[in-house]
Amino acid sequence: MKVRLHIPDLSKLRVAILHRPHTTVQSLRRQCKPIGLEAFDCWPELPPKALAADFVFFDADMGYDAQFPWKSGEAPMPMIALIGSEAPGRIEWSLSQGADAQILKPVGDGGVFSALLIARRAFEVRQTMRNEINVLRGRLSQRQTVVQAVTLLAATGRSEDEAYALLRHLAMSRRETIEEAAHRLVHDAQNEGGLHGQFNEY
Amino acid sequence: MKLARKPLKLGILYSQSGSYGRLSRASRRGALRAIEAVNEDDSFGFTFDAIERDPEGNIDLYAPLCTEILAEGSVSHVIGCVTSWSRKEVIPVLEKFGATLWYSLPYEGFEASDHVVYTHACPNQHLLPLLSWILPRFGDRGYLAGSNYIWGWELNRVARELIQEAGGEILGERHLALNDTDVDRLIEEISATRPNFVLNSLVGESSYAFLKAFAALAKRDSYFTPESCPILSCNLTESEFPKIGDAAEGLISTGPYFHGAKGWPCQGKREFESSLEAASWAAVMELSLLLRANPGFEHAPISELLKVNRQRTMIDTETHHTALPVLVAQVKDRSFHVLEQWEDIPADPYLSYSERRTGVRQPSLRVVK
Repeated sequence: MKVRLHIPDLSKLRVAILHRPHTTVQSLRRQCKPIGLEAFDCWPELPPKALAADFVFFDADMGYDAQFPWKSGEAPMPMIALIGSEAPGRIEWSLSQGADAQILKPVGDGGVFSALLIARRAFEVRQTMRNEINVLRGRLSQRQTVVQAVTLLAATGRSEDEAYALLRHLAMSRRETIEEAAHRLVHDAQNEGGLHGQFNEY
Repeated sequence: MKLARKPLKLGILYSQSGSYGRLSRASRRGALRAIEAVNEDDSFGFTFDAIERDPEGNIDLYAPLCTEILAEGSVSHVIGCVTSWSRKEVIPVLEKFGATLWYSLPYEGFEASDHVVYTHACPNQHLLPLLSWILPRFGDRGYLAGSNYIWGWELNRVARELIQEAGGEILGERHLALNDTDVDRLIEEISATRPNFVLNSLVGESSYAFLKAFAALAKRDSYFTPESCPILSCNLTESEFPKIGDAAEGLISTGPYFHGAKGWPCQGKREFESSLEAASWAAVMELSLLLRANPGFEHAPISELLKVNRQRTMIDTETHHTALPVLVAQVKDRSFHVLEQWEDIPADPYLSYSERRTGVRQPSLRVVK
């Protein structure tokens, strides 16, 4: 029996702490160790190795956009804001950076483990949604192609409903989306230079 | 002429009454025995004066009474707390005073406070080895019973994960409110599903009622005898035998010590009733040895004391947990008989380090019970 736990699954992960040398950093690093995380701190900029970090803790009090090697809100890993001043401007800035969770300063004896798990979940949800939105956007932009394909198929003497049903059938039989099938069809038709007799083979 | 020994104050915060008073009194006995042993031993340049408060099992009294102890001034170490809730209640107080709590009961892990030293087992020192020992011998179809409390929730959660990872099956899981003794439904479910084992993470009266009802079930249906369907526990010790009687027979438990064990905490030179007494004794002794080796640090935070310390200690400087033996033992004629033993297993409170797991012990051809 090989014992491997999915929970909490944070061991050996790398954590970048973007904060000036301070007891806050010491407290964070101390909490990271028993969890099994490898933490390093840096200030004022994130070094290139931070790109390979699995989590970033960042100072919300003295932080600024240029510290990050990615566009605001597009961090490739979960981000946790270290908040001292709860001024709305600073919180807004933290959110614009894409904070997935936060820890209040001064950092005491706890908070890291739950912040990591919450940040990771929020990040994953955000990533999944972003991917899904991209897929849906792509499909939306293909609407015109679908209309063209249905028109092409209808031109061979089918009703619109029959043409759409055929397009679906084509997509299913080739295991592709309707948009992909439509794109291929329209593309083929354009390349062949005409429509007549094109679709008998399907 | 001998130098006068310096008196040091040591806080004691155990409930002497309430639902878990039995466990608490066992822990307190271990601490008091250790204080007595230190005070009789001239090799220590100090003696302990116990400053004691009794929260009487009332969760809301822990923080104020801990404050009372620490506000006396010159108290930097407190031994006490039985439940996780009470430990979590006093941590902010410890932080405020820079003091240290020595906590000596098995718990569910996922904590590593800078102000607490943990001298009993966490899951990689109780639940993981117990299941790794049980599954190859009894099968991997389990039933999980637990109290509606963090101990029951977290233990069953980790157990579920482990059993499923091993390809096993959870036939049922039920949680009872603390002190609820209505166990009929539990027994009916177990009786209907016929698991290979039952993990009992119930505490106190619920656990005693369940064990008695299960023993009655075993009398009616021989499938439920310890040979084919044992009850497992990560927290049951000899201290609770008087409440359970013969219903504990055959139960398999795990811990760093069972009555009569020769290793930890003092190589058999002293006997303890149970691991609770042994772990609180060990807590006070570890503290005493650290203070003896590092004079001048009597009132330092534990992190500092561990940092300067060069003497061998079982306490890990990163987790403040203790490396412990792991014993798997079965109740026979009202005492635990050790079935398996691992030495010096370092604690892994967040279950992050696979190398801190005990190896799986495959059964020999015949299990001698």
